[in-house]
Amino acid sequence: MGESPDFISDLPQSIIENILTRLSIRDAIRTSVLSSKWRYKWSTVTDLVFDEKCVSPSNDRCVVETNLVRFVTGVLLLHQGPIHKFQLSTSFLQCRPDIDQWLLFLSRNGIKELVLELGEGEFRVPSCLFSCLKLTRLELCHCEFDPPRYFKGFSSLKSLNLHQILVAPEVIESLISGCPLLEFLSLSYFDSLVLSISAPNLMYLYLDGEFKDIFLRNTPKLVAISVSMYMHEDVTDFEQSSDYNLVKFLGGVPLLEKLVGYIYFTKYLSIGDDPGRLPITYIHLKTIELYQVSFEDANEVLVLLRLVTHAPNLKELKISASPIQLFPLEEEGFDLFERDYFDYQLPRLETVKMTDVSGIRNELEFIRFLLGTSPVLETIVVSSSLIDKDAKMGMVVELLRYPRVSPRAQFLFLQD
Amino acid sequence: MSEGEMAIIKPEMMKSYIWLETADGSIQQVEQEVAMYCPMICQEVLQKGVGSSKNYAISLPQRVNPAMLSLIFDYCRFHHVPGRSNKERKIYDEKFIRMDTKRLCELTSAADSLQLKPLVDLTSRALARIIEGKTPEEIREIFHLPDDLTEEEKLEPLKNTMDDPRIRLLNRLYAKKRKELKEREKLKSVEVEEHVDERSVDDLLSFINGRDHKVVKTSKSKKKNKKRKEQKNGTSMGICETSEKDLKHNLHSKSRNAENVDKTASSLGDVSNLLSMEDDIFTPKTEFEDGYIDDEIDPALKEMLDREVEDFARRLNSSWVLSIGQERQPVHFSINGNGATRRLTGPAAGHK
Repeated sequence: MGESPDFISDLPQSIIENILTRLSIRDAIRTSVLSSKWRYKWSTVTDLVFDEKCVSPSNDRCVVETNLVRFVTGVLLLHQGPIHKFQLSTSFLQCRPDIDQWLLFLSRNGIKELVLELGEGEFRVPSCLFSCLKLTRLELCHCEFDPPRYFKGFSSLKSLNLHQILVAPEVIESLISGCPLLEFLSLSYFDSLVLSISAPNLMYLYLDGEFKDIFLRNTPKLVAISVSMYMHEDVTDFEQSSDYNLVKFLGGVPLLEKLVGYIYFTKYLSIGDDPGRLPITYIHLKTIELYQVSFEDANEVLVLLRLVTHAPNLKELKISASPIQLFPLEEEGFDLFERDYFDYQLPRLETVKMTDVSGIRNELEFIRFLLGTSPVLETIVVSSSLIDKDAKMGMVVELLRYPRVSPRAQFLFLQD
Repeated sequence: MSEGEMAIIKPEMMKSYIWLETADGSIQQVEQEVAMYCPMICQEVLQKGVGSSKNYAISLPQRVNPAMLSLIFDYCRFHHVPGRSNKERKIYDEKFIRMDTKRLCELTSAADSLQLKPLVDLTSRALARIIEGKTPEEIREIFHLPDDLTEEEKLEPLKNTMDDPRIRLLNRLYAKKRKELKEREKLKSVEVEEHVDERSVDDLLSFINGRDHKVVKTSKSKKKNKKRKEQKNGTSMGICETSEKDLKHNLHSKSRNAENVDKTASSLGDVSNLLSMEDDIFTPKTEFEDGYIDDEIDPALKEMLDREVEDFARRLNSSWVLSIGQERQPVHFSINGNGATRRLTGPAAGHK
C-alpha cells in the first residue's frame, strides 16, 4: 500500500515543464487531473501548440470549429505567466474575432514565437500583432498583412515565414529591412513581380511565386537560397537588360553553400550578356540543385557551366531537364563545349543526378563535360524522359562512351 | 578570465582526473575530459579551481547520487568523443534511456543539477513519451501518483486565480450545484444505500455542468425564489423531482460491490460534517438565503451573466474537461457525481 514513492511529482518545475512541453497540449492539460501536485503544473508551460487534434473529431465542421475556439480560449484563460510560443495550425478556423482576442492576449504576455496556419479566408492580422516586439519567429498563412503606420519593424525577429499572404511589395520590403536580425525568410505564393531584399543577417532565403526581378541588395551572409520562379504569362515578362542576371542576383552572396532553383529560375539567371568569367568565386558552395532547366536554350546551359566552374568545392549537383518542346528548336550551332571548358576542374564533385534527360545534344555534352572534369566523381545517376526503348538505349550507349577522369565514377541509370 | 587566473588554473587543467564528492560523502575520481562535459563541474573547476585533489573535491548537489553519477559519466564518456555520427549518437541515446521510470526521474533530476542540458532533454523526452496518450489512471499507476483529487476538482479546473467576475460567478454556480447535489444525497441517504448509480460519465457530467434540463430549470427558478421565499416548497419539489428521477434510474441499475457501498455509506456521515463546516446548512430553507444574493448587480445583467457563466462552464467542461475526465474506470464517477463523497474515498483508492 503506497510504498512506492512518487518520484516524478517532486522534480523541479523547470524539468516538469520540459516534459510537458514535449506533450501535445491535450495530454499536457490532462495531467491536471492526475493528483493535487499536478493540478496546475501544466499552466505555466510557455509553449502552446494547437491543432484540430485538440478536440474530438467530428464530421460537422462547425462543431470542430466551435470546440476548438472554446478549447483555445479556455487554455489561455487558465494559463499563468508568459507565453513564449503560440501555434495554431488548422484549416478549420479562418477569420474570427476570437483570434483577434487571443492575439491581443498574447501580445501582452511576451509572445516570442507565433505561428498561425489558418484556412483560407479574410483574416486580417490585427494591429496588436505589430506591438509584439519580442517576436523572434513569425509564421503566417492565409491572411492579410497591413501594418499600421507607426510600425517600424520587429527588432528581434529572426525567422519570418509568410505563406499566401496578401501584402503589398513595398510593405514586405520595409518589413524585411525593419527586422535587422532576420536570419530566415520564406515567402511563398508571393507574387510581387519586383522584390528587393535588404537583410544584413539573412542566412536562409526561400522564395516561391511570380517575380519579374529580384534584387539581393544587402545580404552578405546568405548560405542557402531556394527560389521557385513562376511566370505571369511568358518568358518575355522577365525584365530584359544587358546586365547578367546571374551576376546581379548572386553577385553579393560570397558565403553561399546551397543553391536551389525551380521552374524558370535558371531561365531568369540566364538573361543578360554573359561576361565570361564571373567576378566572384563561391568557395563555400557545396550543393547546386536546378530543376526544369531547358537544355535547348544555350544560355541556360551557360548558367550551369558558369556556376559549377565557379564553385571549387561543389560536392553535389542535381539537375532536371525541362521536357523538350513539341517542335524542338533547331539546336543552335553554339559550341559551348568546344571552348576552354575542359580546362576547368570540378575537384570535389562527388555525386551528380540528372533527371528527365531527353537525350538532346546539350544534355549529353553537359554530362560529358562533368565526366571529363571531375576527378573524384563517385556516382552519376541518370534518368531519362524518353519512352522509346531504342532511343533510350542509344543514349545510354553514347553516355558510356565518354571518358571519365575519375576512376571510381559509376553510372546509374534509373528506370521510372 | 585574466592572465593570472589562467596561470593558476593551467597546471590543474593538466591533471587528468577530477575529484568529486557526492552528498552521501563518498569521494571518487573521474577522467577530467569526461567530468568537464558537465557544465556545473566545468564551472567549479574553472572558477573555483577545486576538484584537483581529494581534499579539494567538488561537492556535488544533493540530487546526484553515486549510481546516477556513474550513469551520467557513461553518457559523457560516449558523447565527449568528437567525430561520432548523429546516427551513432541517436542509437546510443535510445539504448541509454532504457530504464525504469524511477531511475529515469532520478537521472533527469541529477542531470539537471549538473546542468547537462542534452541529457535533461533526452530523459525529459523519454518521460514525455511514457505519459503521451495514456489515461490518467495509467499515468498514476506508472508513476505511483496518489489519486487525491475529488471528482469535482477533476471536473472543475477553474480556480479563482484571476479576479475575473465570470469565474467568480462560475464558482458560485458550482457552489449552487454542490448544494443541490448534497441535498439529493441527503434525500437519498435513507433509501439508496443499497443501490448504485451507474449512470454514464456523460450523464453525470451533463448533470454537473447544468446541461440537465431539470437542473437548469431549478437554477432559473431560484431567481424568483429569492424574492418569494415563502414558496420554498416549490423549489424543494423541483429538487425532489430530479432526485426521484435519479432514484428510479438507480433502481434499474445493478448494485456495485459491497465494499464500495460500505465505504460510501460510512463516509456519508463524514461528508456531512465536512460540508457543514463549509457552509453549515442542510435545510432547503437556508439554501435560498445563502450565497446567491449578488452584490448589487442589476437583475437583468445578472441573468445575462448567469447564462453566460453557465454557458462558459458548459463550454469548458464539454469541450475538453470531458475528454480529461474520460477515465477508463467509471467507478470513479459512481457515487452520484458527488465530489464530496469522493473526497473521502479518494485517498484510500490512491493506495491501491
